[in-house]
Amino acid sequence: MQKANLYHDKRAQWAVYAIFFGVLALLPVWMGDDPFTLNQYARYGVFGILALSVSLVWGFGGILSLGQGIAFGMAAYGMAATMQMQYQDPVNDPIPSFMLTNELTALPTVWEPFWNTSVGLLLSMGIPVVFFTIFGILIFQARLAGAFVAIMTLAMLGAWYNMAYDMQPFTAGFNGISPPNAFHAFGVEVDPYSSMIYWVSLGVLAALTVATKLLLQSKFGTIIQAIRDDAERARFLGYNVAFYQVVVFALGGLIAALGGMVWVIIVQYVSPTALEIFFSITIVIWAAVGGRMSLFGAIFGAIFINAAQSYVGDEFQATWFIILGTIFIVVVRFLPKGLAGLFEYGISFVPNPLPAQRQSIGAGPTK
Amino acid sequence: MSAILELQGVTKAYDQYTVVDDFNLNVSPGELRCLLGPNGAGKTTTMDLITGRQKMTSGKVIFDGRNISGMTEHRIVQQGIGRKFQIPAVFKDLSVRDNLQVALTNTTNPFMNMIEFGRGGGRARLQEVVELVGLQKRLDELGGNLSHGETQWLEIGMVLTQNPKLLLMDEPTAGMTEQETQKTSEIFNRLKGEHTLIVVEHDMTFVREIADIITLMHLGKTLAEGPMSEVENDPKVREVYLGTEGITDAA
Repeated sequence: MQKANLYHDKRAQWAVYAIFFGVLALLPVWMGDDPFTLNQYARYGVFGILALSVSLVWGFGGILSLGQGIAFGMAAYGMAATMQMQYQDPVNDPIPSFMLTNELTALPTVWEPFWNTSVGLLLSMGIPVVFFTIFGILIFQARLAGAFVAIMTLAMLGAWYNMAYDMQPFTAGFNGISPPNAFHAFGVEVDPYSSMIYWVSLGVLAALTVATKLLLQSKFGTIIQAIRDDAERARFLGYNVAFYQVVVFALGGLIAALGGMVWVIIVQYVSPTALEIFFSITIVIWAAVGGRMSLFGAIFGAIFINAAQSYVGDEFQATWFIILGTIFIVVVRFLPKGLAGLFEYGISFVPNPLPAQRQSIGAGPTK
Repeated sequence: MSAILELQGVTKAYDQYTVVDDFNLNVSPGELRCLLGPNGAGKTTTMDLITGRQKMTSGKVIFDGRNISGMTEHRIVQQGIGRKFQIPAVFKDLSVRDNLQVALTNTTNPFMNMIEFGRGGGRARLQEVVELVGLQKRLDELGGNLSHGETQWLEIGMVLTQNPKLLLMDEPTAGMTEQETQKTSEIFNRLKGEHTLIVVEHDMTFVREIADIITLMHLGKTLAEGPMSEVENDPKVREVYLGTEGITDAA
């Protein structure tokens, strides 16, 4: 029997994570702190978080969600509201100026909780999760799958986009909300043009990646992949398939929500563009190109495509989306497992230097 | 001896067409029952009705003293009914080992399974099953890379891992070579007694090797029931299989 491919060796995977995040964490030390570059890289971190959520939900859970932007956008608005209220003064200036221009005379009730930063953070994170749970129950109890899920999530995203756009007194509509000050909490101010923002973004990405990786190594992770392969078989082994799918979907929502919160700290701005359909589809493309069945691949895909867009896209501004679309088609057609799949194939020719892993049953891979 | 599975007047009708018609069945614990019948007799539908995959129009299914009619599929499985599908279904992108791990349901709660890292109980059971179905050397292979026979055994193994009181097997030897069928009948004969089995099968040599009692279905009803020797000489049976030399040939 052949020794297992190094690609599938958990120890090697963790080592790659440690090196990847370790090197990235030291980046500001080497390249000095050019504030604009650091801000730019912090944004890549958020794109990585979004791709991570798609990898979990689609790559491992088999749920093609085109609506990750819903959680991202909701959390982004929540975070913007929190930061906006940090700026407002309860006595002298209790109402954000865009509300005044929209002829509101009192702060809307939905905005009240955001006076408190901790509550604001909790709501930004919690509301998307609650929404994804309810939405997930509706979808998965009805046993919808595949393209139907994609269409439903897409339609829901469109609805939220219109809502953010139309509820001008509450959301500032098309203009969006731009909190004047940087986010500060627990005595710390997060300057969006500093190494701090870079580390916050990278820290959240790293923490979420490790948590998701652990989740996938647990039995829960194996079960959701089983459901992805054959939901009916899993159901007839005694699993409540819809329950598992709702949990995966909600966790994907949580990850995307955390991405949305970090995003607003970085850019100090939110508008309906966060809920744009094109944006959510782009996230799926990042994950597909990098490799949706690999967390690392999906994150790499997000960073790779965005870096390419920043550095190459400037020259091909008009044709960038055509280039992106072409890459997507080529990957889907020839590399169903994305760049990670290509890597998996390549490294299978490299002998695995590690000793065989202990396995739950059987002797495990031998030489 | 009281029956472990009892079907009382089970009926499934689509508009005018009745697929399973007032069907009654009593299976004793430890028995291996073969369900036979021509295409469209309602064998697979009966299995669907027992496992809740389809909702019955009327009737009752009593399992182990409990009325399980109307329960959701996973609840029925949790009562102790395992099922192998007609078209073999395994998790193609998971290794054989992971396929069996998933089948080992110490708990089906998603949150409990988040803190389960393969150190839980039941490993002895897995080892036992792997040896029974003879997949020791294939544990690292992906489910999708197995041969047809191996896929069938893996699925049988997955169902066995759960140690169900009642096993429903829909055409377990379909597409198997003679040798593979032989091995399968050995597996089944070892299961008999410890488990109760209902097997839908067309291969009469196989049925002869394993069956205790045969229930012959025709147009959704029981046509004949009893040991092989009795059923094949039944004149009603010969009539249904008109133009053939009885059920032996109809296979």
